[in-house]
Amino acid sequence: MTDLTSSDAVPAPRKGSLLTQDARTKQRNAKEARFRMMGLIAVTIGVLSLVGLLTSILASGLSSFQQTYVELEVYLDPAKLDKKGERNLTDIAKVSTFGYAPLIEAAMISAIERTGVTSDVANAKAAGELISKEAPATLRDFVLANPDLIGETVQFDLLAAGRIDGFFKGRVTMESAALDRNVSPEQLQLAQQLKEAGILTTKFNWAFFTAPDASDTRPEAAGLGVAIIGSAYMMLIVLVLSLPLGVAASIYLEEFAPKNRWTDLIEVNISNLAAVPSIVFGILGLAIFINMVGLPQSAPVVGGLVLTLMTLPTIIIATRAALKSVPPSIRDAALGVGASKMQAIFHHVLPLAMPGILTGAIIGLAQALGETAPLLLIGMVAFVREYPAGPPEGFFDPAAALPVQVYNWTQRGDPAFVERASGAIIVLLVFLVIMNIAAILLRRRFERRW
Amino acid sequence: MSTGYITLIVLGLCGLGFFLGRARALATSKATGKKLHSLPNYYGQAVALFTAVPALLLMLAWLFLQPLMIEGRVAGMIPDSVIPEGGAKSLVMADVRRIADGLDALMVAGHMSESDLDAMRADFTDIRNRLGNVGVALGSDVPVPVFEAAKELRKSQNAGNFLMTLAVLGLSLGLLAWSWSRVHPDQRARNASETFVLALLIGASLVAILTTAGIVASLLFETINFFKMYPASDFFFSTVWNPQFRGGSDLGILPLLWGTLYVSFLALLVAVPLGLMIAIYLAEYASKPLRAFAKPAIEVLAGIPTIVYGLFALITVGPFLRDYIASPLGLGSSSSSVLTAGLVMGIMLIPFVSSLSDDIINAVPQSMRDGSYGLGATKSETIKQVILPAALPGVVGAILLAASRAIGETMIVVMGAGAAAKLGLNPFEAMTTITVKIVSQLTGDTEFASPETLVAFALGLTLFVFTLGLNVLALVIVRKYREQYE
Amino acid sequence: MYDAPKFAETKVTNNDIKIAARKVQVYYGDTHAIKDVDVDILDKTVTAFIGPSGCGKSTFLRCINRMNDTIDICRVMGDILIDGEDIYDKKVDPVQLRAKVGMVFQKPNPFPKSIYDNVAYGPRIHGLARTKADLDEIVEKSLRRAALWNEAKDRLDQPGTGLSGGQQQRLCIARAVATSPEVLLMDEPCSALDPIATAQVEELIDELRQEFSVVIVTHSMQQAARVSQKTAFFHLGHLVEFGDTGQIFTNPKDERTESYITGRIG
Repeated sequence: MTDLTSSDAVPAPRKGSLLTQDARTKQRNAKEARFRMMGLIAVTIGVLSLVGLLTSILASGLSSFQQTYVELEVYLDPAKLDKKGERNLTDIAKVSTFGYAPLIEAAMISAIERTGVTSDVANAKAAGELISKEAPATLRDFVLANPDLIGETVQFDLLAAGRIDGFFKGRVTMESAALDRNVSPEQLQLAQQLKEAGILTTKFNWAFFTAPDASDTRPEAAGLGVAIIGSAYMMLIVLVLSLPLGVAASIYLEEFAPKNRWTDLIEVNISNLAAVPSIVFGILGLAIFINMVGLPQSAPVVGGLVLTLMTLPTIIIATRAALKSVPPSIRDAALGVGASKMQAIFHHVLPLAMPGILTGAIIGLAQALGETAPLLLIGMVAFVREYPAGPPEGFFDPAAALPVQVYNWTQRGDPAFVERASGAIIVLLVFLVIMNIAAILLRRRFERRW
Repeated sequence: MSTGYITLIVLGLCGLGFFLGRARALATSKATGKKLHSLPNYYGQAVALFTAVPALLLMLAWLFLQPLMIEGRVAGMIPDSVIPEGGAKSLVMADVRRIADGLDALMVAGHMSESDLDAMRADFTDIRNRLGNVGVALGSDVPVPVFEAAKELRKSQNAGNFLMTLAVLGLSLGLLAWSWSRVHPDQRARNASETFVLALLIGASLVAILTTAGIVASLLFETINFFKMYPASDFFFSTVWNPQFRGGSDLGILPLLWGTLYVSFLALLVAVPLGLMIAIYLAEYASKPLRAFAKPAIEVLAGIPTIVYGLFALITVGPFLRDYIASPLGLGSSSSSVLTAGLVMGIMLIPFVSSLSDDIINAVPQSMRDGSYGLGATKSETIKQVILPAALPGVVGAILLAASRAIGETMIVVMGAGAAAKLGLNPFEAMTTITVKIVSQLTGDTEFASPETLVAFALGLTLFVFTLGLNVLALVIVRKYREQYE
Repeated sequence: MYDAPKFAETKVTNNDIKIAARKVQVYYGDTHAIKDVDVDILDKTVTAFIGPSGCGKSTFLRCINRMNDTIDICRVMGDILIDGEDIYDKKVDPVQLRAKVGMVFQKPNPFPKSIYDNVAYGPRIHGLARTKADLDEIVEKSLRRAALWNEAKDRLDQPGTGLSGGQQQRLCIARAVATSPEVLLMDEPCSALDPIATAQVEELIDELRQEFSVVIVTHSMQQAARVSQKTAFFHLGHLVEFGDTGQIFTNPKDERTESYITGRIG
């Protein structure tokens, strides 16, 4: 049987004790250890990247949840605000924000005097510059809402200027202020003294969540209000459109579709759509929804439609997996008692697959929430200060979106906006974490082993 | 009537149809003494579906097509003489639209009536002022043809909307009546409504096809327009990218393509070895607790939006590379650079490579490992000489997918790579990519008649073709690989 | 009915003890899979392990070259000595051990490489060949030993996965002998093969006995009777009976062995 010619042709067995490692084995084991170490290093680098990414964002963004305010008692001088004294709203409205600035400066001076702080720059202009340029507008809105308070002294919490806020957060230093046209070291010293005197206070920054965006020169007033509404509107549209469409398409492909070239084409198509760069969907939105159909730019409805098309493949893939995991015995049982195929699917299979479908939908939604590139192309980068109206009209109003707001802020000159952008990312990440936890809980709660 | 109201009315009719259909089924069954073929609800459902679905689809189609047809006709009314020097028809059309909206606003505010409008002439009335009062600001006085076009646009739109209301509600009512009249105990209502639902399901699955068709059509159409204005050979072979507002731009794709490939290459240089080693370590070496912690932690990287990576590149990695490496070595002074974008994108891609490779390595049968261990191979020898060669096609597929991600990635390069179109080798220099230029050419006020804008579509098409090719290739390879071990 | 098996013709000579196992216990997590196994396996002899499924015969086989090390939850206690050296000693490197104790598996598992590279894999990692000519020689000799040379010599560069099942298993045997082991473990090497391929492999096993100590796990009593000189019967983790193959099949001492051989259990 064997075609061996002589038995000594096979290399002679090496004799040697198993208890001692020969040189080659030692060398090989060292190689093994090195390889293993490389793997461990790679895992460490991967985990450290995540940690580094998150700490860098947290480190630069957490401070945006705190904000420096100036507590001032402002005398609403009738001589300046309502010269005619008739408390006529149209007359009061004629006083622009410039008319309110002197009131604030005066209030600031008297506050400084009251605390007994002495400073080289305790003049009206320099002291007034400690307060945000947004403050006169706040004052004006207040007066227009409460005209009968003119002539009285009212307590206000006004935003401190961005540089002053930055000083208390460590972003602005005496050295940088010496080179800065917008703030002087003396002003910072004054701010320090006022802080000790309790006029400047640091509080939780609720306005960050509710206020609209603000212009380049007043980062301290910029908030996420419009962006959060815009993102919420888009998510609503995505959910309402992509869930039924995705589920319907999956049911057809998984349960009804015959196996032929046509359905194969649809399948290949869906898996390819899932990998098309997101920016291409932005081009689609711009060309079809805005240029062809004539929907307005910057509107949540366009963003919602584009994100729907992007999310659809994710939902279809998840739904099909969920449908596939329902064992055929359930279908057979339903068909066996005389249900039609449609009834079997809608009454039995779909409810059983629902947790899986919803998990997929939440994950798809989370992806859509963080998507930025396509929204840039459909005009969501526009500067929007007006809150959109309530739905459904609000879907057609200009709005921002959370991730685009982040991008927007990074494009501005003042470094205070970087803090805002990082803060906005933290808000975005918190939303994503909540959604993902919801998905995990849903899966755990309803996970079924067949 | 607004589409919202029409939808509400149709839905109301739909509900009504359900009850009418159900009631008629029960009534006729009782009257004739015949047993119903289906449950009564199915008769209602059939009527309801016929009432709502075709009408709503008609409305959707109308909303898509009406602007196309009307604007085409109105645009024809505008003579070239009113198009300002260096401007384009699309800008004038934007004015026309705004004037039309403004006229509506005037009407709503009660400043004038329909007959006033007919009498209104651009050369006699100060339209700019009157529109200004209702918040429509115009840059200059309105030329006569433009105003006439606006009036025409408004008229056609109103007529179109009226016709749409009529058609949609008519269709809805008609089908309601028709399907109601067909309700009869012998009618196979369940089969009818199920066939209808099946048609809807098929329709939903066609959305995916429509999306692809929409992408291809929109890219192709505008790309052809672009090549009519700008020679294709210059686009594909010119090494200069220098768009100008006043025309005479150089729009060569090569520097952008170079930047894209350079950044992607660096990203893969980071992601592939790391991702592969992570996959190997987690699949073959890691203890259970380490795997339970590290695997999800690394997959979290895939769930983080790219804007976060962009910000990371902008505020942390870019300045770090500039201050500690590039500047001391005299290699550059820009915080956005190819290396910044490549590094950060590499981190983003790690989970793509690692989790796909993990699946693929786990798909290599255990008998393969046993065979190797049984011969006295160490783990690393087994991995390098048996498992990786066996898993190679799958891993290559994973890398191709990662490459396609890298090429199509936008936010990281927008925020990390810079905007200068350059053909250089220094990784510390800022360069730019296809996606960055798509964003910069299409954001802000876009003007759809200039090659500077339309070039974005040609870039988009290039990107689409590139990534599609990589994806299809990767899918084919991975599918072949899976079949091998199934 | 029980067919009288045909016994291997060669009688057991006074060979040295190659492997000595004493009080071997194997646990899978909490399951006690092997209980108190004592066995002496002779050099240049074919020893067959038989027994019903799940009796622990494969588990015990895998202890001999420490393949169980790759399973996390598996613990081995007791002593297994090869040439008087405890293979579970801390100083023993399983890699070195496995070069000495080769293994052939149930299902043919050629690597997705060429036939040549499959056979050359072991010699390469253990550094057995200095030159290409050395390696060529080892490959040829191993393929000849496995009776595959004539079929494979013209297609050495073609993938091993392209061979037929029987050829693949002989390739795996060639791969195992190429590292010149002293013991060859075979875990049901014919269970995935057709009768003709089985006959070829069995004949091969008999040839291999001249060089190695062969331990074979088999499901088929006929096969055990045909190829082995010594037979061990395992049942529920115990080594019930161990002795000359002829004695086990014709005159079993233990009731359980008899029941198994006559087909009442198993």
